[in-house]
Amino acid sequence: MTDQLKALYQSVILHHNKEPVGYEKRPEAGMIIEAYNPICGDRFNLYLNIVEGQLEDIHFHGFGCAISKASTSILIKHLKGKSIEEVKQLVAAYFKTVNGEAEDAPEDFAAFAAAKAFPGRMKCATLSWDELNEYLKSVS
Amino acid sequence: MLEPDNIRKDFPVFREHPDLIYFDNAATTQKPQVVIDAITEFYTHFNANIHRGVYDIAAKATERYEAVRGKVANFIGAPSAKNIVYTSGTTASINLVAQSFLGAQLKAGDEVIISQMEHHANLIPWQMICKAKGATLKVMPIDREGAIDLGTLRVSLSKRTKLIALTHVSNTFGRINPIREVIKIAHQKNIPVLVDGAQSVAHFDIDVSDLDADFFVFSGHKLFGPTGIGILYAKEEHLNAMQPIVFGGDMIKNVSFEKSSFLSAPQCFEAGTTNIAGVIGLGAAIDYLSQYDKKEIKAYLKELREYALSRLQEIKGFSLVGSEEHSSAIISFVIDGVHPHDIATILGAHQIAIRAGNHCTQPLMDFLELPGTSRMSFSIYNLKSEVDRAIEIMQEIHDLMFGA
Repeated sequence: MTDQLKALYQSVILHHNKEPVGYEKRPEAGMIIEAYNPICGDRFNLYLNIVEGQLEDIHFHGFGCAISKASTSILIKHLKGKSIEEVKQLVAAYFKTVNGEAEDAPEDFAAFAAAKAFPGRMKCATLSWDELNEYLKSVS
Repeated sequence: MLEPDNIRKDFPVFREHPDLIYFDNAATTQKPQVVIDAITEFYTHFNANIHRGVYDIAAKATERYEAVRGKVANFIGAPSAKNIVYTSGTTASINLVAQSFLGAQLKAGDEVIISQMEHHANLIPWQMICKAKGATLKVMPIDREGAIDLGTLRVSLSKRTKLIALTHVSNTFGRINPIREVIKIAHQKNIPVLVDGAQSVAHFDIDVSDLDADFFVFSGHKLFGPTGIGILYAKEEHLNAMQPIVFGGDMIKNVSFEKSSFLSAPQCFEAGTTNIAGVIGLGAAIDYLSQYDKKEIKAYLKELREYALSRLQEIKGFSLVGSEEHSSAIISFVIDGVHPHDIATILGAHQIAIRAGNHCTQPLMDFLELPGTSRMSFSIYNLKSEVDRAIEIMQEIHDLMFGA
């Protein structure tokens, strides 16, 4: 296996792929966002409950590659319980980290910067984050 | 006997990338030097617009451009060069038939039949024209191995059926359709059939006259030719029933501000300056391919597919999508617990090119209840040793993803 591959499929991604955080269907959630990539068929639902400006609860379910699944799992892990303001800051920090711009961001964000070496896989690292970001823009 | 080791030497991409293992031939094939040279020769020595100039190089460009029409006709067993329309590819050919041939005659309540395995290019053009005319798009069901049921087809045909559009070979899993039988059944009720030959034309001996196909469409770039050039073959009676849908220069007889009249087919479907270099490249590709016996090509690719299938069985969690038999040089598969894109990325990092995803057949993926597959597709320059290398890497995937 090449070094670039090892960097992409490092333990943090493989771990979240195998044991994703908050991986369950919540059809009763206040807001359901669909993250879908028509090119590869990856499809996740993000189930959000926002109460008084706080992301009280967030889960996800669906199908995707190791990268997209792990990146969604990391999203759930970091955003659950945060205020919308904090969520926006973390989303911005995630995009900066994935783009390889140094940032004071949670350590496990950095794992996804390796996707940059695989241009076809960048979207996998940002699929759910992009959709959440679009939603945040639409409500603010 | 086909000599893939020697054939490889004709393709400069393998000289530039000695480690490249190219298993994405269903997407596009690599180009032999003779095709690249033919395009360069055109631009270097006789670049001129066709059908207009009276000077030497314009005459030569026109002559070469028109000569390819005859070459294509001969290559697919068409009665005449007049049956051959140049398009930009399979997609454009199908859209032309949908809009021009069906557009003129389709009425509310009419039906068009396609199969469940069609590429989006052989689905959406029919869907859109049916929607515009209030007609119905009917779908021939298949079983999980990709077999269509001819009995069901037979009983679903009626006076309302205006066309059947079917792929010769599935781009997703390589299933070969019984197009000869489908055409026979359809013609008993005078229903025309369009055959999508994108995946068959490079490997099969095609004889549209013998098949009695009404329309046969394909792209140049899947048979070692350039991109942006494709063919629509149509029976003369159908071409005569079709009206041009794109208007402009090089397709007209007389033009005034009040009215215009048009040339006859095929010229009336080739408005504007067409892909002249593409046509000349396609001609070179057909010459290149014609030096090999299609029976030998078919036999070699069958052998390669069977070898790859037997080796793939060694991979933990492997399962084939589609049929072991009745298939061309395409293997679609899934590996339990590993996403197709992860497989393609890992192989790609080792210079092994395969395709992952839904292969432009979303409805087929829905039917198979798969979000996507990995696809290996072979051509005449692929080797068993390349299959071995891919297997070697795939055996490591499980360890990488799940730990040794």
